[in-house]
Amino acid sequence: MSLLGRAALLLAFAAAIFAVAAALWSRRPGQRRWQESAERAVYGVFGLMSLGMGVMWAGLLSGAFELRNVADYSSTTLAWPFRISALWGSQAGSLLLWAWMLSLFAAIAVFTNRRRNRELMPIVVAVLMGIAVFFTSVLSFVTSPFETLAVVPAEGRGLNPLLQNGYMMIHPPMLYVGYVGLAVPFAFAIAALWTRRLDTQWIQSVRRWTIVAWLFLGLGILLGGRWAYEELGWGGYWAWDPVENAAFMPWLVATAFLHSVMVQERRGMLKVWNMVLVVLTFSLCLFGTFLTRSGVLSSVHAFGESTLGPYFLGMIVAILAGSLALIISRLPDLRSQNSLESYISREAVFLYNNLLLVGLAFAVFWGTIFPILSEAVRGERITVGVGFFDQVTLPIGLALLVLTGVGPMISWRKASGAQLRRRFVGPLIAAAVAVPLVLVITGGAGHWAANAVFVIGVFTLACIVSELWRGTRVRHQLGGVSWPGAFLQLFARNRRRYGGYVVHIGVVVLMVGIAGSKSFASEGDLALRDGQRGEVAGYTIVNEGGSRGSDEHKMTVAVRLGVFKDGERVATLDPAVNLYRVSQQRSTEVAIASKWDRDIYVVLVGLTESRLARIAVFVNPLVGWLWAAGLIIALGALIAVWPAPRPALAPVPGAARSGAAARGD
Amino acid sequence: MAVLLVVLLGVGLVALVAWPLLARSGAGDGSVASPADIERQRVEEDLDRALTAIREIEFDHRAGNLSDEDFAALDREERARAVELIRRRDALTEPGSPQGEPG
Repeated sequence: MSLLGRAALLLAFAAAIFAVAAALWSRRPGQRRWQESAERAVYGVFGLMSLGMGVMWAGLLSGAFELRNVADYSSTTLAWPFRISALWGSQAGSLLLWAWMLSLFAAIAVFTNRRRNRELMPIVVAVLMGIAVFFTSVLSFVTSPFETLAVVPAEGRGLNPLLQNGYMMIHPPMLYVGYVGLAVPFAFAIAALWTRRLDTQWIQSVRRWTIVAWLFLGLGILLGGRWAYEELGWGGYWAWDPVENAAFMPWLVATAFLHSVMVQERRGMLKVWNMVLVVLTFSLCLFGTFLTRSGVLSSVHAFGESTLGPYFLGMIVAILAGSLALIISRLPDLRSQNSLESYISREAVFLYNNLLLVGLAFAVFWGTIFPILSEAVRGERITVGVGFFDQVTLPIGLALLVLTGVGPMISWRKASGAQLRRRFVGPLIAAAVAVPLVLVITGGAGHWAANAVFVIGVFTLACIVSELWRGTRVRHQLGGVSWPGAFLQLFARNRRRYGGYVVHIGVVVLMVGIAGSKSFASEGDLALRDGQRGEVAGYTIVNEGGSRGSDEHKMTVAVRLGVFKDGERVATLDPAVNLYRVSQQRSTEVAIASKWDRDIYVVLVGLTESRLARIAVFVNPLVGWLWAAGLIIALGALIAVWPAPRPALAPVPGAARSGAAARGD
Repeated sequence: MAVLLVVLLGVGLVALVAWPLLARSGAGDGSVASPADIERQRVEEDLDRALTAIREIEFDHRAGNLSDEDFAALDREERARAVELIRRRDALTEPGSPQGEPG
């Protein structure tokens, strides 16, 4: 089993090297056959990496404990779904997943471009396979997932209980789809620079890749938050942990890129900026992978100490230096076709949005690496607290929320005062009406930041709704269709724009959820014997009896709690603590009663022999809005990437001459 | 058994990548389009984008997102691009046209 796995990785390494060389050679005159050979090598790499994954999974499922990875991360008592997810529980296994996804995406990119972008594809293949060379070499020569043990144990050590969670089964693969998916836009950007084909073709070729990768990265981050919320038992979902930040940074820069490409497509501007964003996004993806593997920072999400850091750092430096050199050498070809005509225009708003997003990414980057820098410079590790991140994020987040509403309402090129008044009077009235309502609901101006988010959220939502209304009205007038038909046509005819608006609605819901859950959460610690009751945030918690149990995997201590509000039972919760037999690790099983407006979140801290239950109770408002926002954002992104029918030229009044010309009359 | 499998994998991989290099000219080109097809496809895609842009500009104008002046300028630009692309497409599809002429 080990031999087959190792051989698959070594052959994939060789095939990737061949693909790079053949793809570059194919650019010489008369050598087009080498391009096809290189592309076949990409399929070969995918097949071999799939074989490697298959062997690893077969080992995990069959309990092949001669493999270190299987012995260290699974056991015979581990449920089979977790044996599958144990693959990415280990350092080497997660790198194997990374490399396999890269080979899959490279194969998809080659297949979907077999008749398109032929000038770009040799360089695209060379870049993607260059990255594959790095990963397969690390997997073959530095940290092999197929390393064998001299003495085969009778039983494995099992999977960390924290990782035995449904969200942890899908959270890492989703993050990797995001990280690895962003390698494809990077490869196309480098290809466009290399071949000097710097029109919008490459951008349009990677638009769907970027949106899908961005979506998966975002959902991966959100699912990671959900996992932390359910599994770690501290009542929150985000702690500005270095590894959380590592995924958040490329997501922010990718968001900036998704907006700024529209300026390039529409106005031929920001070409250098877009190249920088693509390079930065992918470099940050690698940086995230580096952070979790280098051992330079400690995190609940990171793997332990390892020797991989220098390799990843070398790769990141090489990519940044090579890409920036290429961009600088192509600066004359990247000149803007237009200039910014007004600071109040759609393109200017996109620019502000980009500066804020990249500024936020930089602030997060600075806060994340500051402990490393302080240790290097002063010999003392100074950790940056949550306060720093909250302080930086709040004003930038508020400004971004305003721009989310304002951007789509402002004209390209320049907006007149009259136009602005017409556009914004409705949303401003809505926001003004929201102010007293918000103050009444939240109980005053004490939580000004959260109140500001709620009011701006109403403003932004009103902007989006008014855009949808205006679009529907135009479609209704143009097409002679019913109002609902016109509304649906709006989405069918311009999926990218209106899918984007749905994503914006999701962003508003997300921000409201974050503001509500951070500003209005309550918590209390209770110590209750059987039948005793305590109060937290207006809820009465009654201990209805503790219990102890065990099965072949674990011993469990649990307590049943009745939750009452105004004398009515609103929930029955069973928080527990598990002690796993094989690993001797303890895991907290949080109990949560969710409603649309709040979560009641209970953690069992301990149950004494005298049946005294110590519990921590959190009442977290609007947490459910975060998960709902994820669904809305996913829906919007799906609408945006859904293929549109081919367009036909619509007749435009007053443009008869050019229309006739366009028809070739 | 595993060694035999590894050898077979290696041989299969070499055969896979070497086939386009060893096969007679033209054979093994099945999945790769000709330069003329590629250029035509590229022009078609550019034309699709230009037509989409014209529709969007018109829609933005009707929805009040573009002033009359900006609409006229942007619309003129995009229509001129569409006309040029239609000419290029026609030239590429005309019998006897220089196939694969770069755009």
